[in-house]
Amino acid sequence: MSTDSVFVHKMWNDNELSKMVKGGVPFPMLSDAGASVGTLYGIYDAEAGVDTRGRFIIDPDGVVQGFEVLMPPVGRNVSESLRQIQAFQLVRKTKGKEVTPSGWKPGKQTLKPGPGLVGKVWEVWKTSMAFD
Amino acid sequence: MIQVGKKAPDFTADAYHKGKFVSETLSDHLGKWVVLCFYPGDFTFV
Repeated sequence: MSTDSVFVHKMWNDNELSKMVKGGVPFPMLSDAGASVGTLYGIYDAEAGVDTRGRFIIDPDGVVQGFEVLMPPVGRNVSESLRQIQAFQLVRKTKGKEVTPSGWKPGKQTLKPGPGLVGKVWEVWKTSMAFD
Repeated sequence: MIQVGKKAPDFTADAYHKGKFVSETLSDHLGKWVVLCFYPGDFTFV
């Protein structure tokens, strides 16, 4: 979503993005003409007149699970967004019985919070795992 | 202001999707995970 019109979205998709991604952008390119949505989400830069790089992960109940906002010159890391979604999905599936420590990726060890784990995280999780 | 753990504000917006102009409403996607991405502008470099 950007403040561009759907007409400019079409031009960008058809003339440039479709050359990067076969078949073009697979998801809806939303127009925030007037910046009302960017303003609602707190990421609209009124001085520059643009929506900054806000990224919101919204769960099936419509609840915001996480967000990230970057200044325009620095692009996002899509793999990190996917990792966060997978982590939130795991937490949701286990109803919070399992949580994902720093550096967690799918297939890696989760933590099961409870009285038995208090003061014992150091036994099962090493700081090096944060950088895997 | 957006807070984690709180409802995402609902909105409806025009969109371009696979060759068509459509209307998208956030709450129509309840039951699915949604990633909402904002960016500064079409044809920018990053």
